[in-house]
Amino acid sequence: MHSSLVRIQNVFGYFTSVAFAVAAAVAVSVLLSSQTPSASLELKNVQVVKGRPHYYSTKREEYAHVKFDLDADLTSLFNWNTKQIFMYITASYPSTSPSIPPPEAVIWDAIIPSDHAPFHPNTYIHPTSKTPSKSKSKNKSKGKPYPEGASPGIVKLSNQKPKYQITDFSGKIAERENATLSLHWNVQPWVGALVWTNTNSYGRWSGLKGGVDKFDFPSLKGSETIKKEDLKTETGAEKNRGSPA
Amino acid sequence: MDELLDQARSIYEGEIDFEGQRLAETISTILLSISGIVAFLTGFITQNIYQTLYIGLGGTALTFLVVVPQWPFFNRHPQPFLPPRTGRGALAEGISVEVDGKKVS
Repeated sequence: MHSSLVRIQNVFGYFTSVAFAVAAAVAVSVLLSSQTPSASLELKNVQVVKGRPHYYSTKREEYAHVKFDLDADLTSLFNWNTKQIFMYITASYPSTSPSIPPPEAVIWDAIIPSDHAPFHPNTYIHPTSKTPSKSKSKNKSKGKPYPEGASPGIVKLSNQKPKYQITDFSGKIAERENATLSLHWNVQPWVGALVWTNTNSYGRWSGLKGGVDKFDFPSLKGSETIKKEDLKTETGAEKNRGSPA
Repeated sequence: MDELLDQARSIYEGEIDFEGQRLAETISTILLSISGIVAFLTGFITQNIYQTLYIGLGGTALTFLVVVPQWPFFNRHPQPFLPPRTGRGALAEGISVEVDGKKVS
């Protein structure tokens, strides 16, 4: 510590140790905050139609359009170390052969940032209620990832269109039975470990209650009996829509 | 001009005495540890991780400011040098240096 340079090195070296220790404490402190996530997920409508994977493809596949109702309360997942939550809904169904694991496909997803997270255009925008707000000042709450007056983690969707239409790798998805629609999430912290969906209870963390629905894929529908607008998928409600990163 | 350069060199090198070095070590350890603890507790109580970040960084900046420059309280116990030699190649009277039992000067 005899000269300035040595003192700078010593202080910086100890600073790195302190920073690491504080970060470790922050990462572990997450275990102290209780978590009681709950959700109700219901299938609204599912249709299976023929389609092509892309415009120039000659391959004809069966695609399932899954509409759902979601009423989720994941507010308790937002503690002081939560940066954002990635939530997604999957449809999984038994495979045809025991040697193949059951296929699982994401039909909808959203990034829900915490209130402290800096603005990013790729976050989810929660749909607002159909009734137009009376005053224009209310429009300030537009573009929030949760309904008006709620807090991050609240998601209320009714008759939500899927973001992604799903198909099986065999190209046939009609009349598959025992499918499960389920809600999943990743909690992305500021420091520490990425936490995936848990359904068990660990200490103060209780598992997800609800968020699962069973259904069967219907038989293939003739294209003339379905209106085209019924098959549109939700192209997402992020702010950067139409301007790719 | 030389005097000015000497002063500049002294500020840049920032040499401090032995007691000052001990003091600087203690101050830096205590300040950094306390700022880390305070940063964590403040952030945990206010549930805002930005408080942790900024208090931690602020405490570190304060530590740098207190410890790095050549403050006068680091030079309160100067170590005096031996008296200068009187002649060429000879030490002052009354001082003898022995190496392996042999008198060398």
